Amino acid sequence: MANRLSGFRNPWLQIGVSTVAVAISELFLKTGADATISLSPEWSWTGLTTLASPLVWLGIIFTIVSFITWLYAIKHLPLSVAFPASQAIHILVPLSSWLVLGEQISALRWCGIALVLCGLALVARPVAELEEKL
Amino acid sequence: MSPLVLVLIFVSLVAFVAGQLLLKHGMESTVTGGFRQRTFLVFILTGTAAMAVSYFLNLGLLQRLDLSYLYPFQGLSVLFIAGAAALLLHEKLTLPLIAGSVLITAGVVLVSIS
Repeated sequence: MANRLSGFRNPWLQIGVSTVAVAISELFLKTGADATISLSPEWSWTGLTTLASPLVWLGIIFTIVSFITWLYAIKHLPLSVAFPASQAIHILVPLSSWLVLGEQISALRWCGIALVLCGLALVARPVAELEEKL
Repeated sequence: MSPLVLVLIFVSLVAFVAGQLLLKHGMESTVTGGFRQRTFLVFILTGTAAMAVSYFLNLGLLQRLDLSYLYPFQGLSVLFIAGAAALLLHEKLTLPLIAGSVLITAGVVLVSIS
């Protein structure tokens, strides 16, 4: 890497923005998908009937934000490091489903979330080595 | 859970992994070649198309399943993507990276079966 990427162009910040944007978009998509469930049973499996909900379009906007920031992140980071790091989403989504949508989280599911956290901590080591090279 | 739901989850997953690899390859080509070249356009367009297929299948599945149940299935893609990136993009897999990916996948599967 010829020049060190700092400020908003830092790929790690881009992964963070991308991950939070995914969590927000998932909340909008789920709420919108629920609102359109009875529209057209024969087409609902394609997911396209959900487009009738404005919330789904909001979700799509956040998906686009996450998509673009993700593209910039993987431009500079190996996919085998960036992708595991982005899996913090599997903690953010269940937590926000619980807090915002009122979905239940069982004890086993909390254990799964804890395992993901441990995995992220392990992945952080190769990340630190990579940071030295950047 | 019906077999159709499982098939849709699987197809969505495969399209997602393929999309990520295509996008990564496309973005990497811009480091040396810039944005106005064929490799970038072809890979970004096919990658985006694969991601779009995965995205809408996921929306259809969201109508039937809890978000906190469905979403973690994509966690399986950690292993697929790490493996495919090593195999096809020649990225280096370290032991902590593999162990971390396995733990993340195990956690994600645990979340989805609970």
